[in-house]
Amino acid sequence: MIIRFPVYGLTSQHPPMPHHRLGGHAARKRIPVDISLEVNGRTENLDVEPGVTLLDALRERLDVTGPKKGCDRGQCGACTVHVGGRPVLSCLTLVATVREPVTTVDGLATGDALHPVQQAFVDQDALQCGFCTSGQIMSAVAAVEQDVDDVREFMSGNLCRCSAYPNIVAAIEQVRRADAVV
Amino acid sequence: MQSFELTAPTTVDDALAGAGTFLAGGTTLVDLMKLDVLTPRHVQDINAVPLRGIDTTDGLRLGALERMSDVARHPGVYPMISRALLQSASQQLRNMASMGGNLLQRTRCTYFRDVSMPCNRRVPGSGCPARSGAGRMHAVLGTSEACVATHPSDVAVALVALDAQVSLADAAGTRTVPLLDFYRLPGDTPHVENDLRPGELITEIVVPRLDWAANSTYVKVRDRQSYEFALCSAAVALDVRDARVVDARVAVGGVATVPWRLTAVEEALRGAPVTEEAFQEAAGVAAEGATPLSANGFKVPLLRRTVVRALCELTQDEPSGSRG
Amino acid sequence: MTTTRIDAPLKVTGRARYGSDHNLPGMLYGHVMTSTIANGEIVAMDVAAAQAAPGVVAVYTPFDPLTLRTPTTPMLGDTWVPLQDRTVTHYGQPVAFVVAETYEQARDASALVEVSYDERPARTSLAGNLELAEDAPPGLDGEPSSSVVLAEGVESIEDALASSPVVVGGRYSTPTQNHAAMEPHSAVAHWDADGLTVYSGNQGAFVQQADLAAALEVDPSAVHTVNPFVGGAFGGKGRTSVPAFLAAAASRALGRPVKAALSREQVFTATANRPETLQEITLGADRDGTLIAVRHDSWCSADTDRSFVEPTSATSRVAYRTPNLAVSQKVVPLHIPRTTFMRAPGEAPGSFALESAMDELAVALDMDPIELRLRNGSLGPAGSDLQWSSKYLDDCYRIGAEHFGWSSRTPTGRREGDWLVGMGTATAMFPALRFPTTTEITLQADDTALVSVGGSDPGTGLLTVMALLGAEALDLGPERITPRLGLSAYPPGGMSGGSTATASVGSAIVAAASAVLEELQSLASAPDAPFAGQDVTYADGRVLGGGRSMTFGELLSALGRDTISAIGSAAPGEEMTKHSFSSFGAQFCEVRVHRWTGDVRVSRMLGVFDAGRIVNDQAARSQLKGGMIWGVSAALHEGLEIEDDGRLANGDLAGYLLPVNADIPEIDVQFVQHPDTLHNPVGARGIGEIGVVGMAAAVANAVYNATGVRVRHTPITIEDLLEGLPS
Repeated sequence: MIIRFPVYGLTSQHPPMPHHRLGGHAARKRIPVDISLEVNGRTENLDVEPGVTLLDALRERLDVTGPKKGCDRGQCGACTVHVGGRPVLSCLTLVATVREPVTTVDGLATGDALHPVQQAFVDQDALQCGFCTSGQIMSAVAAVEQDVDDVREFMSGNLCRCSAYPNIVAAIEQVRRADAVV
Repeated sequence: MQSFELTAPTTVDDALAGAGTFLAGGTTLVDLMKLDVLTPRHVQDINAVPLRGIDTTDGLRLGALERMSDVARHPGVYPMISRALLQSASQQLRNMASMGGNLLQRTRCTYFRDVSMPCNRRVPGSGCPARSGAGRMHAVLGTSEACVATHPSDVAVALVALDAQVSLADAAGTRTVPLLDFYRLPGDTPHVENDLRPGELITEIVVPRLDWAANSTYVKVRDRQSYEFALCSAAVALDVRDARVVDARVAVGGVATVPWRLTAVEEALRGAPVTEEAFQEAAGVAAEGATPLSANGFKVPLLRRTVVRALCELTQDEPSGSRG
Repeated sequence: MTTTRIDAPLKVTGRARYGSDHNLPGMLYGHVMTSTIANGEIVAMDVAAAQAAPGVVAVYTPFDPLTLRTPTTPMLGDTWVPLQDRTVTHYGQPVAFVVAETYEQARDASALVEVSYDERPARTSLAGNLELAEDAPPGLDGEPSSSVVLAEGVESIEDALASSPVVVGGRYSTPTQNHAAMEPHSAVAHWDADGLTVYSGNQGAFVQQADLAAALEVDPSAVHTVNPFVGGAFGGKGRTSVPAFLAAAASRALGRPVKAALSREQVFTATANRPETLQEITLGADRDGTLIAVRHDSWCSADTDRSFVEPTSATSRVAYRTPNLAVSQKVVPLHIPRTTFMRAPGEAPGSFALESAMDELAVALDMDPIELRLRNGSLGPAGSDLQWSSKYLDDCYRIGAEHFGWSSRTPTGRREGDWLVGMGTATAMFPALRFPTTTEITLQADDTALVSVGGSDPGTGLLTVMALLGAEALDLGPERITPRLGLSAYPPGGMSGGSTATASVGSAIVAAASAVLEELQSLASAPDAPFAGQDVTYADGRVLGGGRSMTFGELLSALGRDTISAIGSAAPGEEMTKHSFSSFGAQFCEVRVHRWTGDVRVSRMLGVFDAGRIVNDQAARSQLKGGMIWGVSAALHEGLEIEDDGRLANGDLAGYLLPVNADIPEIDVQFVQHPDTLHNPVGARGIGEIGVVGMAAAVANAVYNATGVRVRHTPITIEDLLEGLPS
């Protein structure tokens, strides 16, 4: 028996669009947009399609490869960057919608001087393979800045398969203790 | 992802005059566009539209574009709303996702998210593999032959418990709808999830003043401690005087196709003593009408138990939900 | 010794470049498309729309493939290469590769490929297909997968069990698991006059070099593989990945660099998983707890090529001393994604079953579970005359029980508010192995040294261990050692796998250091050299002779040389005929189960390990904590759900649950350190895997202690416990 395996596409939420098949149809025309954004203190100009995410713009257009693609679905946190000083997932952010400055792990250190959170990650061995570390650190910086009550809950949007979780908590506590002394 | 045109209106009028899907936080829309589940030809980035503001002077008024994290940490927000928000997603996603978008987020049903599979919610009439397939996370209340998908929002559960309303606007004008009525049961038309008209925009969420909702909480039971959707959740508020329940609000999530208000439990609680036994008795009616699948029968007892737990935690001096 | 990770500064600043972080001029992007059926033939593929889509450069399919040959290695056997035939054997099998100018163009065009299948019914359930079970082939160590040892005069294991005063038994099951390293499999490939260069995270650059050379039919010397940073592996990056094969072949065909990465969903179907297992265990014991008979029969799932066996029954061959033992291991070929090694293969699911059964036996005997284990400690593998070289498990338990407050445990747990609290324990074992390894040491005129090997550090800390052991062997401070990993240009060895790297590389470093220092001394005393004709010695970075000394750098400069190098090799040898080798550990955990809703929280964990010498204390603790968290994950979170038609119901990181930070408490790790120089000159036995072993059972045993509910499968979820909770 030959099965033309169907692809069940595609409706918007309401009202339903006509059912159409995904496979076999022609690609839609692409409509690029000019954008300008600030990344780690530098103004960058890009000419991209509106569907390009901040993560892919950073990694594949701007060669800012600190943020990592672990899932591309908002399910792991490896792509965490700050936009306007707040941690967000760059994989679910369209670069054309970014209006505020972007900071990635690549832009945290001042010259050779590590950010205190970066130094604490080194000191506490808060990483193993390091692939999630860029995102962990961007969340950890926010945890320190916001002086959050529950560090473990706050850091739960960043998966770590090596499971450095206790050491990540220790790194954040190290910075908070140092801040408290100051 | 299919190509689309992106515009960025800066006023409500411009947004309503334009065509296309509204993009706020993007945490649902961008995700589902990448999966080809949603394929808008035109997207309007409405983040520059002034739909912000948290006003707690008389009840609660939330601009639809307020971010979940900002609402959660606002001191004037009822505890069940704040706790529901703080137990949603992750801090990064809460920084992104808007309140209006949260109410419109789509089910996490594995078949809905996979365009190679049938799904009545995505393609009317194509079928529902969840009934005989991977149905553990699915709903036991408000289901139909066509669809058993769970509504994923936490804060919507708290909001329906508090009789929240949504303000809607389109080019023809504005209207206000109780959130409980805004959501539609799947019935034969699971693709119609809510009362939103084409081109209509949520502008505001309004929670009527309810002073005793200061005594409220949100309990979420899930397979891991954070960054996970509910197996079952309960938003409860109690007006307690002299060790008796004068009034109650109870709604549950994770178990129903829409945020689910439990008025029968509320009724059973009124006049009841503040005891574990009374809470158990009242929760006994929580799962009335439940129609579990083979994979999620546990949600029926879990639903009752979650309601009891929430009531107990709310009436204990020390919440017992913290880490041991 | 302890030192912070040498590569940590690069990793915390984003400057560590993993495979897909490489961007090359003119680079194209490839995107894999996968099957939506689990069993059948591809009848036709319509690629016209994809080919016509913006930016698309090529569309490769089994009808228009990139030619790839199947590589074969002694350890891994055949490695599957994509797009070579039209038969589909599992859901999510790669069936097309679309190459375009941008990532988005490649991804979006791949959605336009239409595939027509002749679909056949799929067999995907392990429990439902046991009649297809086949005897597993012998293990890598040559041991038969099934064996029986009986005491004199005992006719059968059934008789031995029948005559045991106390018998417990059960059927245990563990699900398919995915390594879920945070870095999806990916590669950047380009060709130039020197041949092929591939940047791709892998467990050993030299392994990937051999695979790619064989697949592409080029000389290995023309293949340069680069993986200085690997975003987690855990056994899942042992074989060369689909993106590496396809990017390399497409780059050759198209004459431009190609980057390709699997999507997270594709990682679950287009790499390989830990098999699902079913295990039946029966234990017979005397009333004092002495084991009389152990029976352990296992079935594991496999892909249709039977590419891997999860040897769970082997756990019962080594863990306890018993006069009667029968183990069997069967494999059931199914239409499921490929199967392979995953952290503690065999031991992790095997110990869940055996250590749960031991807890059941302790309950049946009304005996402390630690006492039961100590009473039956093994002296060596069953049926072998070779005893353990070094075993301090009793000390692990004694220290662990004291630190954990084990004496406060009651047989029925305790209650704190709304939480039912229980404690559990289990034994961890993992064999001490090593692989043949060669390292190169180069002494440089600036008084520093390079230590190089082609293996990898996917978070294990090997790079730092190389600096520490290189420093020790060369009698230098570790700051003067530059360890180098992850290039196929370096000598073969140091593959990350089997908890072998420290012992393997460390032994080779000892050999290479000896060789290079011998060379140094002979150069020093050669005619016309600074120490001509004198007896020289070496210490503390200096050559000494005739009452004078020079640093080796000064000596090299005096000789007009920039460097001298030597290689050193080491491999398992005579020691294998004298002893058996294993690491040991005692795992402890405390759980809290909510009396209303049955959610389980792990509130305390402790592991005490006897793993020989610990080279880098801090990183070792980190790795063991990580392993123990893997045990929690197995116990409470992870498991792939394969639907009847072969589709994965939860093949993404929202559905395939890994623990998050909030799930994990403080963890204590302690060591009982007795360097095992019978095994290797460094005395380290390896710690990459043992942290996982036993922990899932410790959690399950703690859940039993808290609730009285015995769950014989993982993950343990709320529905397993609800009915047994107090109302």
